[in-house]
Amino acid sequence: MDLLLRQVVVIDPASPAHQAAMDIHIQQGRIAAMAPSLAVDGAQVLEANGAWCCPGLLDFGVQSGDPGHEYREDLHSLSEAALAGGFTTLITFPNTNPPVHSKSEVAYLMRRQSELPVDIYPLGALSVECKGKDIAELMDMRAAGAIAFGDGLLPVQHAGLMMRGLQYVMAFDGIVVNHPTDQTLAAGGQLHEGHISAWLGMRGIPALAEELMVERDLRLLEYTGSRLHLVGLSAAGAVERVRQAKKAGLRVTASVAVMNLLFTDEALAGFDALYKVLPPLRSDDDREALIEGLLDGTIDFIFSNHVPLDTEVKDREFPYAAFGALGLQTALPALYTHLDERFSPTQIVHWLACRPREVFGLPVPRIAVEEPADLTVFDPRTEWTFQLADIRSKSANSPFVGQRMQGRVLGVIKGHRYRIFDRL
Amino acid sequence: MPQASALSVPHLLGIKDLTAEDIRLILHTAATFKEVINRPIKKVPSLRDLTVANLFFEDSTRTRVSFELAEKRLSADIVNFSASSSSVKKGETLLDTVHNILSMKVDMIVMRHPAPGAPHFLAGRIPASIINAGDGTHEHPTQALLDAYSMQEQLGNLEGKKIAIFGDILHSRVALSNILCLRKLGAQVRVCGPPTLIPKYISSLGVEVSFNVEQSLRWCDIANILRIQLERQDIRYFPSLREYALYFGINKAMLDRIDKRIVIMHPGPINRGVEVTSEVADSEHSIILQQVENGVAVRMAVLYLLAGNR
Repeated sequence: MDLLLRQVVVIDPASPAHQAAMDIHIQQGRIAAMAPSLAVDGAQVLEANGAWCCPGLLDFGVQSGDPGHEYREDLHSLSEAALAGGFTTLITFPNTNPPVHSKSEVAYLMRRQSELPVDIYPLGALSVECKGKDIAELMDMRAAGAIAFGDGLLPVQHAGLMMRGLQYVMAFDGIVVNHPTDQTLAAGGQLHEGHISAWLGMRGIPALAEELMVERDLRLLEYTGSRLHLVGLSAAGAVERVRQAKKAGLRVTASVAVMNLLFTDEALAGFDALYKVLPPLRSDDDREALIEGLLDGTIDFIFSNHVPLDTEVKDREFPYAAFGALGLQTALPALYTHLDERFSPTQIVHWLACRPREVFGLPVPRIAVEEPADLTVFDPRTEWTFQLADIRSKSANSPFVGQRMQGRVLGVIKGHRYRIFDRL
Repeated sequence: MPQASALSVPHLLGIKDLTAEDIRLILHTAATFKEVINRPIKKVPSLRDLTVANLFFEDSTRTRVSFELAEKRLSADIVNFSASSSSVKKGETLLDTVHNILSMKVDMIVMRHPAPGAPHFLAGRIPASIINAGDGTHEHPTQALLDAYSMQEQLGNLEGKKIAIFGDILHSRVALSNILCLRKLGAQVRVCGPPTLIPKYISSLGVEVSFNVEQSLRWCDIANILRIQLERQDIRYFPSLREYALYFGINKAMLDRIDKRIVIMHPGPINRGVEVTSEVADSEHSIILQQVENGVAVRMAVLYLLAGNR
């Protein structure tokens, strides 16, 4: 491979060229040269015209359909959706069938990597079959390549299991991940409990269901001294509790899903099941608290909350429709479209590329000469409409279909593999 | 007051989509039909060329019979479909079922369904006019309209009148539609029941909340007592029917202690001896059977006006 990115603006705080306009020459999977102007014979040229060039994005908590639900998403469609959204690295949730709960499932995913254009790091299940009862073989999964442990989309209800999980991973300074929801309080809830749930006559999922579980998990963390990641905060009260815990020195990190930053429960007032997601879209005060949480570092990073679902389970009467939405392809453009006045490009890149890698102990790619190429090119000036035909996933449950987007991924380069989507 | 002559909506999905003018037009039209159904010849040809499908994905006696009578008195052709006798049990999706029925050239659909929003789901996907005959815990608009009609017969204009709704507010589509309808007509509304059966954010709909039955009876002009919906409770929200009857049921002794006449309503079917005693349900205070009669006239009005919008 021999590729010249002409006139990109480097967005990488760790790079000597941060925020500078550069030509970047990539050869044999490495950044061979970088200068304000380069002349290279014979290279493929991408005219970037001021597009951002940042470390390749990482998405945490991706739901894959492989194995078990390949008709929703297989590893190839997942990878294509990831690349189209600018992601070069994925941390997958264990909620497949069978779940990723022993070394053989971890090994299966690791082995499939060689045929994929993205890197995948599996999250191993905390409990056998993700049933929330008995602790799974965490050390064996770690040896096979699991990056951290949690039951993914299924919140750990059992305090004893959570405590033993937190204790057990201390043997290797591992991280337990929980999606904090008390399911006895959330039972039967279809959306955030608030005036919209009252208006629609449906049971709500109270913010309390999340706050209480965050409190429990933080107490267990305090008791054990272990490491915890709370995935998908959605309620203002939960953000505040994490803020206090960080101040107190607990080793906790937290993340927020893109849709929770952009929308509120008002989006559900007309029974639009495409906005039916977990954690639920909450009030505007909650949304504002999530943004504040990111800005002051309480929330460490953003993830796309990618949950592919086929029409048979999604395009149904509201209460029967499953929770979840596609996210990989739209995360970066949607964030930029809706929040470019609140977040700088450097912050967005920090939350989508750098910080999640730091949290899970992965090296952050650097845009500098001699470094391996792992980068995303995003043109913030392209205006376009996301359409059904753009979807690379096997499923189509995206609330963004038909919506105008500001900014588009032009290309992704990951070692020897690269994908250019436009203007080559 | 100048009266609008057509509804602002193509479907009746819920009270929330209607304007106050729409509601007044329906109630005004219902008065005409009430007069018609009390004639010796009860039938008019208004819907003669139209076919109405009654799709009941959930059991119903009163509402289904009431709609069927309303349709027959308007001379519509009718097809009936109920979940127990249908392919739904064989796993057919709602959309497939309805498409099949529509291929048989149906103009209007009256639907009851256990899922909130099911009629809204259909309205965006098929060409027929849809009347919501109850969608889970969401709305039951024709019940609210017939309740408002019956209340007006008793009290005249409902502006400023005090209506208390008793019982399971959390799971009741009748409560939600009643609240929305009565608020649009300018009435004051209070909900009363065990705290576990009252949604935390219900006051955002402009209603008062009380947990005290006798005090709420004293406050109101009309008591609308809801059925305790045991079939919707997958979780126990109160300990037992016995305790409910003792502390939240309405009985004659209570009414005797109140020195004013209040009107008793109930959308049926009644759990006698639970939310209300037989003595009260069958007393001269009760207009429960008038509600049923008015139901036919109100549903005729809704069918007639929506047919006019086609």
